[in-house]
Amino acid sequence: MKRKERMARKLSNPKQLKGPAAKEDSLSVDEKGLDLTAALRILRHAGRPDPTQLMNDCGIPLQAIIDALCDLSVHDGLTGLVNATFFHAALSREIGRSARTGRTCCLMVIDADHFKRVNDTYGHHAGDYVLQTLAQTLKQSLRSMDTAARIGGEEFAVILPECTPEDALIAGTRIHALLNPLIVRIGDETLRLTTSVGLVWADPQDPADSKTLVSQADQEMYRAKRSGRGRLCHPPLKTTQISPEERAALASGNLEENSNDQ
Amino acid sequence: MISEARGARRYAVVSGKGGVGKTVLTANLAAALAASGKRTLVVDADLGLANLDIILGVNPRHTLMDVVRGTASASEVIMPTSGGFDLLPAGSGLVEGTMLTPSLAGTLEALLGSLDANYDLIFFDAGAGIGEVVLYFARLAHEILLVVTPEPTSIMDAYATIKIMARLYQKTEFGLIVNLGNPTHPAQTGSAVARHLQQVISKFLSAGGQATIRLNLIGSVPRDSAVPQAISRQQLLVQTDSHSPFTRSIYQLAAALADKKLSVAP
Repeated sequence: MKRKERMARKLSNPKQLKGPAAKEDSLSVDEKGLDLTAALRILRHAGRPDPTQLMNDCGIPLQAIIDALCDLSVHDGLTGLVNATFFHAALSREIGRSARTGRTCCLMVIDADHFKRVNDTYGHHAGDYVLQTLAQTLKQSLRSMDTAARIGGEEFAVILPECTPEDALIAGTRIHALLNPLIVRIGDETLRLTTSVGLVWADPQDPADSKTLVSQADQEMYRAKRSGRGRLCHPPLKTTQISPEERAALASGNLEENSNDQ
Repeated sequence: MISEARGARRYAVVSGKGGVGKTVLTANLAAALAASGKRTLVVDADLGLANLDIILGVNPRHTLMDVVRGTASASEVIMPTSGGFDLLPAGSGLVEGTMLTPSLAGTLEALLGSLDANYDLIFFDAGAGIGEVVLYFARLAHEILLVVTPEPTSIMDAYATIKIMARLYQKTEFGLIVNLGNPTHPAQTGSAVARHLQQVISKFLSAGGQATIRLNLIGSVPRDSAVPQAISRQQLLVQTDSHSPFTRSIYQLAAALADKKLSVAP
């Protein structure tokens, strides 16, 4: 009751909402009287946009806080890609879907080469900028159903659901070309970086768990690193992995009978 | 881009699936071309070396990898064969899974460039599957020769090969050789397989504004019981039996390739 009154009093006097002290105090409640102090503090410490900017006559819209917290729990703050936690959950989901539909789910792991050198030579801001540029390039080159994630310091992953290995290789080759070289301007300098890419696919008949699939993709990526970096590595294609529609169309011809006819 | 001027015309012989008779076909085709006066080199970029070894009765001391490592020169590695064509064995150094590092690729390309003037035709016998090595040689070739049999598995693998090469390297023309066709009417098998594959390609790969992919049926080769007999005698059938249906079809194939203009862009 007391709180409501206090809120009402504050809102009746908009001037009181201005200034840092007043702001801190007024932040603690929304229009329903919920205490939002902790949520706002987390968002502020995570460097997220300040939801108090959205404050209106009824206080801070609760939806804005919920949206901001959801965003924080899913996304990587630096690059805006989804974070490792969300990525692993999404990958497990897609592997499950693949086992059900029989359509392959592919996974790409992407690692910036010699990233430590960038940090050491140009500082962490430059390193961050490299990661942001890489993430932006990834984001722009994917289908809407694909998921790009930052899963480690300079390691990224892309889930390509419902994608044959052939199509994944086509997508992978395109992305690999966009990232090699990755051109980043730091002040007056133009850095030309390379990235190593590992590409694997989950067999719908014998699906691996998400950890195994990531480790397989990592192995391909390390193979790319060992062989001179800036490369795309993948397991040999089993040529029989074409889409069910294509398979049906190809199987419809009765060609052997023709050749056996003597 | 590969220079066209007076160089050898390069063919990558691929199959997608193994066991379609690609190596035997390549060796006989190369022998037929050599017999018609074409300077022909076969680059064995495949584990199939063991097969070619038996077929031709050669025992290579050096391989392409020795050239890459600098322990042998190209002339030491290239060996004349009883088929009248030259063989460049890649050895086990270039099996699938080999890392085609930029330096290795550079050495290979320089080597092939230096051989260009010595030959009219170069065949890459690039192995089964669509791994990195096969794709690499396909990229170096002016033309891809896809060996396919009427078997459904062979058709599917050939289709997957076309799909990959079209999408990755913008290849829009593929030469098709249909092997193990009808013993008396191989051309019928050939045109049926080509028509079927072309239909599926047009439906799935050339639809909706994508570049048109064209299959050119270059030749049809019949099943011929004389072929396995010749293999077991370590002979090339085109050299021992000039009248067998197989030999006749190989010579037709050779004529079709020899007649090709050398100005077609890769």
